[in-house]
Amino acid sequence: MKSIKMTSCCFPFIVGVLAVVPLTAPIHAAENADIQKPVSQRFADPGNKEVPQFQQHVVPLLGKLGCNGRACHGSFQGKGDFRLSLFGYDFIMDHTQLTAKDVARVDLKEPAKSLILQKPLEEVDHEGGKRFEPDSWQHRLLARWIEGGAKGVPKEAPKFVRLEVTPESIQFNKEGETVSLRAVSVWSDGTREDVTPLCRFQTNNEQIATMTEAGLVTAAKPGDTHVVVFYDSGVIPVPVLQPVSDQYGDKYPAIATSTPIDQFVVTKLKKLGMVPASTCDDSEFLRRISLDISGTLPAPHEVEAFLKDASPDKRAKKIDELLDSPGYAAWWSTKLCDFTQNNYDDLVNVSPVRERPSQDWYDWIKKRVTDNAGYDKIAEGILLATSREADEDFEMFTKSMNGIIQDKPGQEFADRDHMPYYWARRDFRNPDDRVLGFAYTFLGIRIQCAQCHKHPFDQWTQTDFKDFRGFFTRVNFGVNPESKKEYTAMVEELGADKLRGNQLVRELSQKVKRGENVPFMEVYVTKGRPEKANNKKKQGKNRGNNQSPATAKLLGAEVVEINKMQDPRTALMEWLRREDNPYFAKAFVNRVWASYFNRGIIEPPDDLNLANPPSNAPLLDYLSREFVQHNFDMKWLHREITNSDTYQRSWKTNKTNELDEVNFSHYIPHRLPAEVLYDAIHQATASDDAIDSMKNSIDERAISIAASGLRNRALKDKQYALTIFGRSTRENNCDCDRSIDPSLLQTMYIKNDNDVYSAINRSNSSWLFQVGQQLGAVQKPTEQKERVNTRLEQLKEQVKDAKQRVNQLQKQADKKPQLKQAQKRLQAITADLKKVRQASSKAENAPARLQSFENPISQVKSDEIITKTYLRSLSRYPTEAETTAARKYLDDSQNKIDGVYDLIWAVLNTKEFMLNH
Amino acid sequence: MAVSKTCDGVKRRDFIKIGALGFTGLTLSSYLRMVEAGDAKPKNAKSAIFIELSGGPSHMDTFDLKPESPSEFRGEFKPVKTNVSGIEICEHLPKLAGCMDKFVLLRGVSHSVAAHALGRSYVNTGNRPLPSLEYPGYGAVFTKENPGPENLPPYVSIPNSTQTPGFLGVKYAPLNTGATPRSGQPFNVRGISLRSGLTVENIERRETLLREIDQTFNSLEKNSQLIEGLDRFSQQAQSIITSKRARDAFDISKESPAFSKPFGESSFGQSCLLASRLVESGVRFVTVSMGGWDTHNKNWENLENRLLPPLDEGLSALFNGLAEKGLLESTAVYVTGEFGRTPKINTQRGGRDHYPRCMFMLMAGGQVKGGQVIGKSNANGTEPIDDGYSPDDVAASFYHNLGVDFTKEYHTNSGRPITIVREGSVINKLFA
Repeated sequence: MKSIKMTSCCFPFIVGVLAVVPLTAPIHAAENADIQKPVSQRFADPGNKEVPQFQQHVVPLLGKLGCNGRACHGSFQGKGDFRLSLFGYDFIMDHTQLTAKDVARVDLKEPAKSLILQKPLEEVDHEGGKRFEPDSWQHRLLARWIEGGAKGVPKEAPKFVRLEVTPESIQFNKEGETVSLRAVSVWSDGTREDVTPLCRFQTNNEQIATMTEAGLVTAAKPGDTHVVVFYDSGVIPVPVLQPVSDQYGDKYPAIATSTPIDQFVVTKLKKLGMVPASTCDDSEFLRRISLDISGTLPAPHEVEAFLKDASPDKRAKKIDELLDSPGYAAWWSTKLCDFTQNNYDDLVNVSPVRERPSQDWYDWIKKRVTDNAGYDKIAEGILLATSREADEDFEMFTKSMNGIIQDKPGQEFADRDHMPYYWARRDFRNPDDRVLGFAYTFLGIRIQCAQCHKHPFDQWTQTDFKDFRGFFTRVNFGVNPESKKEYTAMVEELGADKLRGNQLVRELSQKVKRGENVPFMEVYVTKGRPEKANNKKKQGKNRGNNQSPATAKLLGAEVVEINKMQDPRTALMEWLRREDNPYFAKAFVNRVWASYFNRGIIEPPDDLNLANPPSNAPLLDYLSREFVQHNFDMKWLHREITNSDTYQRSWKTNKTNELDEVNFSHYIPHRLPAEVLYDAIHQATASDDAIDSMKNSIDERAISIAASGLRNRALKDKQYALTIFGRSTRENNCDCDRSIDPSLLQTMYIKNDNDVYSAINRSNSSWLFQVGQQLGAVQKPTEQKERVNTRLEQLKEQVKDAKQRVNQLQKQADKKPQLKQAQKRLQAITADLKKVRQASSKAENAPARLQSFENPISQVKSDEIITKTYLRSLSRYPTEAETTAARKYLDDSQNKIDGVYDLIWAVLNTKEFMLNH
Repeated sequence: MAVSKTCDGVKRRDFIKIGALGFTGLTLSSYLRMVEAGDAKPKNAKSAIFIELSGGPSHMDTFDLKPESPSEFRGEFKPVKTNVSGIEICEHLPKLAGCMDKFVLLRGVSHSVAAHALGRSYVNTGNRPLPSLEYPGYGAVFTKENPGPENLPPYVSIPNSTQTPGFLGVKYAPLNTGATPRSGQPFNVRGISLRSGLTVENIERRETLLREIDQTFNSLEKNSQLIEGLDRFSQQAQSIITSKRARDAFDISKESPAFSKPFGESSFGQSCLLASRLVESGVRFVTVSMGGWDTHNKNWENLENRLLPPLDEGLSALFNGLAEKGLLESTAVYVTGEFGRTPKINTQRGGRDHYPRCMFMLMAGGQVKGGQVIGKSNANGTEPIDDGYSPDDVAASFYHNLGVDFTKEYHTNSGRPITIVREGSVINKLFA
């Protein structure tokens, strides 16, 4: 074996999953007497009469051979009429399939004639080709199983406890080095077996480490990743690391670490020999933090004041200030609406007034973000929601809802304790969809795989999925049966009892808008009605909606008796809040981290699974633990992250960290999110006054649009831009519903779309207009009006004259040609008059207009224009070279207004503008 | 080692790999095998026009009339002969009847999704919709496989489309014209047309200023795909905006009056005219949307006065125009709504309601052999005779016509492998 430094001190902060192995343990010498040798050794002996076990050996071998893969017999259609459960784990189905009477897959009388031997030996035609050699251990293992009666999993069989893999981490020094992994399975009867030849292995990054079937890891390029070992429901990731420079360990330069985050990050960088980037400058910091926290560019005067401020804690103070700004509440409510999937189209017909549920949803969250309610409180208000609060009867509830919809004073939806619309969505009404959505929103896990088969990268089986579903079966949306009479009575009273479905909703909508009180449908929880084995008759009669499971099982945790619980969801909430819940806090912390760094500590941020471990587990553990300790205080989390050096690093890299994308050694520039960019375009093109008003009144901003959805009218003018820039569609329970990838259409939009042009030269409130005013190039509405009115008077006179002339000529029979001409003229002037009259009435409210301005402007003036253009868009002063280029451009422009227009356009089109950096 | 390969002939190690690295060419797919066996012709259409009849047109009153059925089914319109003997369609589609030889009428296409959005998602992708995954529409897939010329947008929707790029991401979204062209008026296309007063010289001048000041990230170019990508898109956008080719492509006034006239004045007709011009210019995928087909109320009145005349005029002119220009062979056309309408009349409202069990679709161009009816509905138009075809099959055929291997797999961002069309198979009769 080559010289390989084995470390278990490599990741001193790893807690939980991985057990600590003594530093000196040689890889192959750990064979204790009580660990069974691997099957590859045992069955290499032709004399071995041992009968292998179905769960322990046969199914893992089939997995290893590829038989139950999706392209082979694991496909839902099977292959060659033979189907195995995808990725194994449905032991009953697999056993039934293998031993089916009608096909000789397993021939107990003449084992050698079993198809499951003949096919993989290619003794008979096999589309999948030859899978093993005659008399190989694989062949013998399967043969012995058949000879032993081809038994399935016995009732009293031991249960799988865990998988232990050594070494627990690998540090390489150079390309080509190798390490063998060894995996031991532990069973409930105390059996321990070396199962290395039966494990599946995977590398998470082939550029850094490659992996063979036999468990041999080979170092490739420097960097770090994980290799993952799979056996039964065990999934063990093993970190692999190779320094990227010789400046690692003791040779690492001294890097100050001012916060715990920095300590965790630098500890990892030190092992990698990666030197972090220096701190970004103040203007970069200000732009970055303002966009990230408040979705809003800093105003020009803010930039100047911040750059001037000499106090050492000005960054921390700015962070606090931004967390109290309306932008923070609006933008982070939008993010929370992404995670909870507030979608207009899925809420149509949920309420008599179509626009309300998605707006109420947003406002309800925003109130709590503004008040900085704990994240757990927000989750609770959503998770445990029923439409009626605990103390409300139908009458009180109806009164309250009507009051809210009719905008009666003091009646705000956001003041209610719960937000039930999460449960009312059209795509969230059956228990399976709820499991998927809940797991996505509150756990950050993708459990959809386990809906149909064993999760290929995690522990979840179909049984886990089914057992979890019980928490969701008793929640309903519709007319609450408890108050059906009252509901129907109200509908009758409104004279709408003949109407159904959409028509009824439409009618109720009109009535409630006219101030009449209408009834509401509700999210409600029914009583538990577990299946009664001795009451078949009743069961048959009420089949379908009356039964509910007696128990449900929390994911990776205990079984809960739910039939006596008033609302099974309370058990879920209690579980989420526990300190040892492995997902709830972590998923949120990771998402918040991801929105600051454009990459989660786990990436993708909503894909927490065992085979996708965090790039820095101690860091994620620290933040999650402290977040819980701080009562899920979201502002604490934002502060903790943004005050770190790690967040404040420059994007400018050095030789050691230029290729780093996962260890946060430098800032990675990324495109602004759709809404933030849309607002930034309008802000950077706005006048000083308009910028301030946009910062404070958020309602018209893209960052405060309540819902996604094609039918959402609130999106109207912004729809195209927000769509092509990838605003979250909130459709698929995936953080990838939002996209910040660049695209051709985005560039075409910002280069040449009328939206952008009209933002640049919108009258009154644009920066261009402000410049025009300063230069005296604005035609005031009064001037316009005067001009139009003068012309109007002239025309009136002319019409009067022309009429007279026509009248005169009509009396003179010999002047026919002249008459014709005069009539023509009268027609023409009358038409003109009509036009000017229209113009005049328009001029009443006409905006002031920009005129062209062709006089030279002084250098002082043009430099001021350039500087202010830069401050409002790139949040910094222009460089010498930029000022020179822009000044020359203005000088060369005949019409200075056009020149300034182009300058604003050019700045908007720089990469620097489009990116957060 | 003997166990290193799966039945696909791919190494096991690749097989279990996840994530962004992904893997390509996993399967020697049934499609390729089919090509080898000579069932599929490799000569393909180069571009496509997808026409969406939004709302769900009534099959019973357009292309699948049942004059012999009882009055509660029948409807008010009479069938007329087409220029292909034995095929009859609605009397209010006389121009389409006159060019029946240019397209194929699929009857008895069948699925089970009766809601608008979900039904659209089905016919837009060829995959039954799932709550946890958004499949990519045809335009996104086709332009991903065939990006087209540098100085043209590859994918245009007139005026917009319900087709989305799904999990392929916004990179493959269409350019929405946002409006439909009107005869005799300049057509402003967002992102492409130059607003009044703006000249190519202006654009080139301001671009030099941009290049001079856009220097901040120069040092990052070699290591950042994002920076590199933004630069590339910037160049491409600039060449689209400044090229005459792109602007001309959208300028329908450049067509000869003799060519334009048959399309009529309707916005659907003008959209079809634009679509034909765009594919002629080299745009790869064009969608045209025509709404209003959700005729729960006053079905016949709406069809006769508002819907069928522009459809008849615009679509027949499109088929004839493409043929006249020699473009029909290289342009695959697919016309569909999201479902059919209830064969049994809703007498209360004088209309028909949503009905996915039996619908019609039209196909033309490329290798499609026009002048056929494929598939058949039963006597009252309530279901297909035999199994019928599914939107999956039609999707597979459309891709086949376009030379896209619909059994190819893409990967979602979580590494989940998804076949382009999961269930469908090619309807060989289309190409017979």
